This record gives sequence, C-alpha cells and structure tokens, in this order.
Amino acid sequence: MNIETPTVAHRATKPGKIYTSKFPIKAAGLDSHNDTLPKNFLLRVKEFGDRVAMRKKRYGIWQEYSWNEVYQHVSDFCLGLVSMGLKAGETVAIIGDNDPEFYWAQIATHSARAISFGIFSDAGAQELIYGISKSKAVFLLAHNQEQVDKALEIRAQIPNIRKVIYWDDQGLWNYSDPWLASFEDIEQLGEAYGKTNPGLYEKLVSETKRKDIIILSMTSGTTSLPKLAMINNWRLVYGNKLDIHDFAPVFPTDNWLSFSPMAWLTEQAFGFTPFLINGIIVNFPEGPDTVQTDIREVAPAALLFPSRVWENLASVIQVRINDSSWLNRRLYHAFMPLAYKVIDLEDAKKPIPAPLRFLRWLGEFAVFQPLRDKIGLTRARNLLTAGAALSPDVIRFFRALGVELRQLYASTESAGTMHAPGDVKLASVGVILPGVEIKIADDQEILLRTEAMFSGYFDDPEKTAEVMDEEGWYHTGDAGYIDPDGHLIYLDRVTDMIELANGEGFSPQYIEGRLKFSPYIQDVMAVGGFDMHFVTTIININFENVARWAEKNRIAFTTFVDLSQRQEVYDLIKQEVEHVNETLPPPARVKKFVILHKAFDADEAELTRTRKLRRRALENKYGQMLDAMYGDLAQVTVSAEVKYRDGRTGMVETAVKVATI
Amino acid sequence: MEQAPPTLHIENISLNFGGIRALQQIDFSVRQGEILAVIGPNGAGKTSLINSINGFYNPQEGAIVFQGRDITRLPPYKRAQLGISRTFQNIALYTNMTALDNLMAARHIHMKSNLLTGAIFWGPAQREEIQHRRFVEEIIDFLEMEAIRKTIVGNLSYGLRKRVELGRALALEPTLLLLDEPMAGMNVDEKEDMARFILDIHERQHMTIMLIEHDMGLVMDISDRVVALDFGRKIAEGTPDDIKHNEAVIKAYLGQEA
Repeated sequence: MNIETPTVAHRATKPGKIYTSKFPIKAAGLDSHNDTLPKNFLLRVKEFGDRVAMRKKRYGIWQEYSWNEVYQHVSDFCLGLVSMGLKAGETVAIIGDNDPEFYWAQIATHSARAISFGIFSDAGAQELIYGISKSKAVFLLAHNQEQVDKALEIRAQIPNIRKVIYWDDQGLWNYSDPWLASFEDIEQLGEAYGKTNPGLYEKLVSETKRKDIIILSMTSGTTSLPKLAMINNWRLVYGNKLDIHDFAPVFPTDNWLSFSPMAWLTEQAFGFTPFLINGIIVNFPEGPDTVQTDIREVAPAALLFPSRVWENLASVIQVRINDSSWLNRRLYHAFMPLAYKVIDLEDAKKPIPAPLRFLRWLGEFAVFQPLRDKIGLTRARNLLTAGAALSPDVIRFFRALGVELRQLYASTESAGTMHAPGDVKLASVGVILPGVEIKIADDQEILLRTEAMFSGYFDDPEKTAEVMDEEGWYHTGDAGYIDPDGHLIYLDRVTDMIELANGEGFSPQYIEGRLKFSPYIQDVMAVGGFDMHFVTTIININFENVARWAEKNRIAFTTFVDLSQRQEVYDLIKQEVEHVNETLPPPARVKKFVILHKAFDADEAELTRTRKLRRRALENKYGQMLDAMYGDLAQVTVSAEVKYRDGRTGMVETAVKVATI
Repeated sequence: MEQAPPTLHIENISLNFGGIRALQQIDFSVRQGEILAVIGPNGAGKTSLINSINGFYNPQEGAIVFQGRDITRLPPYKRAQLGISRTFQNIALYTNMTALDNLMAARHIHMKSNLLTGAIFWGPAQREEIQHRRFVEEIIDFLEMEAIRKTIVGNLSYGLRKRVELGRALALEPTLLLLDEPMAGMNVDEKEDMARFILDIHERQHMTIMLIEHDMGLVMDISDRVVALDFGRKIAEGTPDDIKHNEAVIKAYLGQEA
C-alpha cells in the first residue's frame, strides 16, 4: 500500500494560480422560469401530479404523499403564514427531526420569499435563544411537546416570536396557550385565505427571485459561536447543476432517506434541492432511532455521511462479523484479503488475473452482496463523505465490500471538489467541480470561487469580510494543495498545521484519522509540535466495542471509567497505536498516549455538533494530561467537571495512566 | 371530579397469610379518570393490594367493587376482560418474543377467531389480525417503541422492558390501569419518559390509573390523590399536599427515609 503522507513539505503549488475544472458546467436551460426552488416546486407538481413525492414511515408502514398532496399542504401552509403577516425577508425558525412537515414548511416559507432557519433538534435552551435572536425569527416551528416546552421555557427571551407552530400533537392536547398553534390550524387558515384570494400562491411563487435569501444555515463553528450563512436560491439551483451530470447523477426514481439534520446544508443540497429540481422521492424514517433499519428498507440511491459516521459503520461491521457465526466469519476472512488484492491491482492500474477475478465474483455472492444488503447499500450509487477528512483505510474497506465511497469537499459557504465516479484517489478530496475555481494562497490556504456561493453571514458584515475578499474568493481556512493529477489534497485547518521539533510539518487530523479506523477507538486528539518534541494522543475508547471485547476475554469491569483504565485495555490500544505507527514517518509517530476516562461530548463543548474536535477547548481542559505526557509522569489524577443531561454538574476524580511506546 | 362515581371501590378488605396480616380493613375508592398513587414503606402491603384487585389473592374479608359490580370472587382473567390490566414490579413478559408479539398476545382477549379460523387465516381471521395490528401499532407510536418493535424482549434494557410491559397493559384496552412500581430501578431520563407516558395516557384516553411508586417526588408530581399504607393499614388519604404534611405519613415513611 502506498499512500502519500501529507506534510507541509508539499509546497508544489504556485501561489496565485487559478485552477478550474476540466469539465464544462451544464447549466443551460436555467432562466427566469426555473431559477428558484419554489418555481421548480410548481413545475414538478405539474410534471408528476399523483406520483409519489415523499414517504413517511408511520405505524410501521411507509405512508405515501403524492406531489398533488404535497402541493395542497405547502400552498395552504404558505398562505396561512402570509395571512398571519409573514413578509418577504422575514425568518421562520424550525426545530425538530426531519419530517414531511419540515419540508413543506420550508417550501412554504421560500414561496413567500421568507427565510427558513433549521435548528438542531437537540439544541439546548441557550443555543435556541441564540439562534432565534440572531436570526430575528418571527415564527417558530417546533416539532413536538419536547420542543414546545423548550420554547415556553425561554418565552421571555424570544419576544420576536409571534407564534409557535407544532406538527406532532402528542402530549399537547391540553395546552391552551394562544401563543401555540398546530400545523393543521395554520393550514386551515391558509385554505380559507386562499379561497378569498384565488391564485395567490402561484402569484407569490412567480415573484420569487434567484437572489432571494431562502435559508440560514448554521456553520459548525469549530472555533466560535455558530454563524448563520445566508443561502439564496441560486446557491442551490446552480449548485445542483455543478455535480449532477458527471459526478453524482440523479434520477426522478431515486430514493433519498432524509435524516441528516436540516440545520445542515447537506440535507438541503442533497435532499431538499434534488427533491424540488430532479423530483427524487424523499423518505422520512420513523424516528431518529430507527434510521438503521429504515436505510435497509429504503436502500437509498445516495448517502452522504460525515466521515466519522462511515468510520463508525466500518467498525460496527467488523465487530458484528466477529460476533457472527463461524461460517460467516470464515467466509469474510477468506474473501476480504482477495478483495483488497483486487483494489490494490486496480490502483496500480495492473491487470487482474482471471482466477482472482473469479474468486472476487464468488465472494460477491458469498459475502459482499449480503453484507451490503444488511447496511442498505444495495441501490446506492452516490456514496459521499464530508466533514473531517476520512481515513484512507475506511475508503479501502468499503471499496473492498464493493462500495465506492467518494469524498466531497464543500462547506456551507461554497461548493468545492468531489471525487468523480471511478476516479477515487486515496488521500485526496476529489477534483474541482465544474463551475468552481480554486486558488492556493501563500500559506497554503484553499480559496474557492463559484456562483454556488453563500451570500455572507446573516447580520454580520464583519465576519463576512473576514472570509470573503473583493475578488469574490472565499477563504476556507483549510490548508491544502492541488496535486499533479488535478486532485485537491486537504491537509488540515491552516491554524492546526503543526511544525514538529525537527522542522517537519505534520497534520494531527491525519494521524487521528488513521487511529480511528480501529474498532476500539472512538475519538483521538493528536498533539505535537512547537516545544513538544514528539507526538502524543488522548484516546477515547469505543465503549461498546471494547466492552464486547472485554466480555469475550473475561475481563470484569464496572463503568466506562473503570474499563478505560484497565491494563488489558491499555495493552489492546497500544497494539492498535503501534500498528498505525508503522505507516507513519518516524517524527510523526505517537510516542505516548492516555486513554481518557470519559467520552468526548458535544454537550460539554468538547466536540462541535457535527462531531469535530474543539482542539483549543480540549487542550485547555486536558492540559494536565498533556503536561504529564511531556513531563514523564506515569499517571495523572484528573478531576473533570461532568455536565449531566438535566443541567446539573458534578466532579469525577480518577487516575489516568500514561502509556509509552 | 368529586361527583364522578368511583371506578373501583375497596370495601374494608383484609388479607391474611396464616398469621401474617398483610392488609387490614383497607377502605378507599379510585375515582373515575384520576391518577391515584399508593405509597408506603417496604412490606406495607402495596403489592398485596394490587394482587387482590386483579385477583391473584383473595382477601378473607371485605369486597372489591369494580364499576358497580362485586368482583371479589372473580378469577384474574375475568377481571382482565372487564377492563382491569396491570404491570408487574418484576416485569413479566414473554422474554423470547419480540416487543410487537408481546403486545399482540395481549390482544388475545379481544380476538374472536378460534383455533380453526386462525389456522386457515384467510378472510375474517386475517382482517381481524390486521385490525389488531393497527391498534398495537398505535400503542407503539404512542410509547415511541418503533425502534424496538422487532427486538426480542430479553435483549432489551430494563427501562425499555418496563415500557413494553406498559404497552402490553394498554393493549388490553383497560378502563383501570394498575401500575406496580413503573419507575423502579430506572435512571432519571427513563423515569421522566415514563412519567410523561403515564400523563399522556391519562390525558389522551382519560384512563383511570392506580400506581404504586417509591419515588416520592414523582408521585407528588403526577398523582391527583395519594393513599398511604403502613403495616397493612391505611394511615392517610388525600391530595399530594395533604399527604406531604400528614404527620402519620411523615413518621411512617418520609421520616424514615430522611
């Protein structure tokens, strides 16, 4: 296996050169009749009529909605909001899990030239107050009792909200507050309003403009409070044309499973937008806990996960295989090495000998096809990974299973790069999409320019100016370079690139990605550089998998804390680290590590909601451990504040061992 | 509320096991549509009381009147058919069946098909099965059990098994629901979920609920009235506020804990 190790030594790119895609953009046919999402909605309704548009699993059965039914809901709800005074440019905040009503409310809002703003459903009171006041929302759609209770609790702090509208009434039957209304209430208002104003909905839609801001999307905010990126129609309509033809083809018969948070632009760009433009069928899971079984039933054509979900899936598969029957294990371990051999030959562009090809074909029936069925990937065509860079091992693992995972490099702010089908290069994040330009700055920062670009941060010209320059370049803050094949290699955040003591550069994320491929490791933070002479890591064990391993090996333990500090577990993790060390250049090898007594937690501000590490916060919080590792201590007693789900805080005191390799 | 006729009337019942007097002259009513909590220290006779109501035990003295009908001598299954269903302190589910099948099994008392039509299945029996499945699916939706529908009950966590048991009790379509320590052994999150479900059931179906519970905070939050037992005797009855300030209760129970 020959994977390039990205280091800052790669400075091959000439600063200032503008790279573009070798593919032309196919955006012909976009004009004023279809340049906004609501206009596309009406076109699809006309085109598809009674064909199924979306499904929601309720009472164990996939309940269908036709385009005509969706039209009824959307137009009624839109007119309902308008009759209650919603004006163009105002914001409607929506908090809840993905549901047909979430989609309807969005289309309705956009049709009125107003802005929808999705909030993560697990947002706490403070996050909710921040989001609602920052976005200046005038209506709040709240999924169910849980969300309505949250809104009632912070009512005094969100005076700009005129009405809270819920769409799941369980437990809300006895709430009589006039501040609250049900989704149906608003639809009824709209129906009546539509009768007195015939043709109003169509008129509203015809007035929508491509430059209308339609969505506020929360950026993940690895460094500060989340910013609200303004997304206009054109960002999504034009963006849809960038990747559709050559990179991620979409057909009206495609199924999509809508479960990634609507607050995230991913769902908007890969679910909501193709739904309106390409007419794909959108399926909504029964609930957040049933996604895994629902994926299998839907067998979606496209899946886009943040990289860590793919990593998780890879380790879950491996653990399940180890737990399965003797025959299954034997088959898996017999065919997997063959599959790896095939992809190695493919990568080397060498011919595959006929016997090997035959065995791989056999493995398809014995192992790979059934396995893909189990994880719902039988009809998957566009499997994308985004967010933090994905470990090449994970990409190889899925390719061996017969699934081509392709990296997407994009952000809320701008489209970027993607692997073309059949052109997956390990360690790269893809080639430049048509309609996108890339420039690499002097400090290796990646700059992007395209028409599919956000319109600045809401109500925050200063933050906007920090990332947008006069020439229209968006400064990503990511470091990278374009390799000779035209692939973009992503290294790390510019601010996270670290120079080791010997002057060589190193990217902590890269080491972390490799370590996380171990089924026993959930999260890692790698540290090194400056006055620290070697690389150390703080490791989070994957509790489920390690617990299973411990049970199998008859190692008794009580809690997470106890398990994490067992000597046997340290030995297990040490093996994993040594294995990864073999693939790293000597200065970047991990010399010491600690296993943390708890899991990194987004609720404690250790991770972002998209589960990226908040490095600065972690370095402060676990400074003691870093000092111990660099100060040659054998163990360190930590007392960490733990925040419980109900808001109380407590202290945990424990001794954490330092392991040396 | 005051005028509603009692759904259940416990008339001076006494229950003895040999020389042990488990219940002595217990007398109170459960009014229609209320949540009544029975509290008391360990061994006070709370579970004996529920067992007497659903027919597992037969009190030697007194009568139990359910919706105006004396049921003191009826066997448990007849009482279930009349609309009394319960959950157990120690969970009594079919552990090798799925959550869904456990709930479907509870629909048995409402099924009309017999062994023969059930075996042939085609026609009325199939329609009946579908109709009952729909009812059960509504409970699954109500109690948010979608993700565990097809999971073998034995593999579920304690808190989820308790939820399945509640679902099974609901599947009987009871008019009186007896809950024996529905929240015992649960963590804070699970307790809150369970309390919310109990309140939802009460609100949505106006069901009369009698529950035994140890967690005083929760009892005071969700119940309309409280009956306190100690050594088989009723020592107090009243609103949660009354009970909180009742000296006999404080002495027998709260005082002991504090």
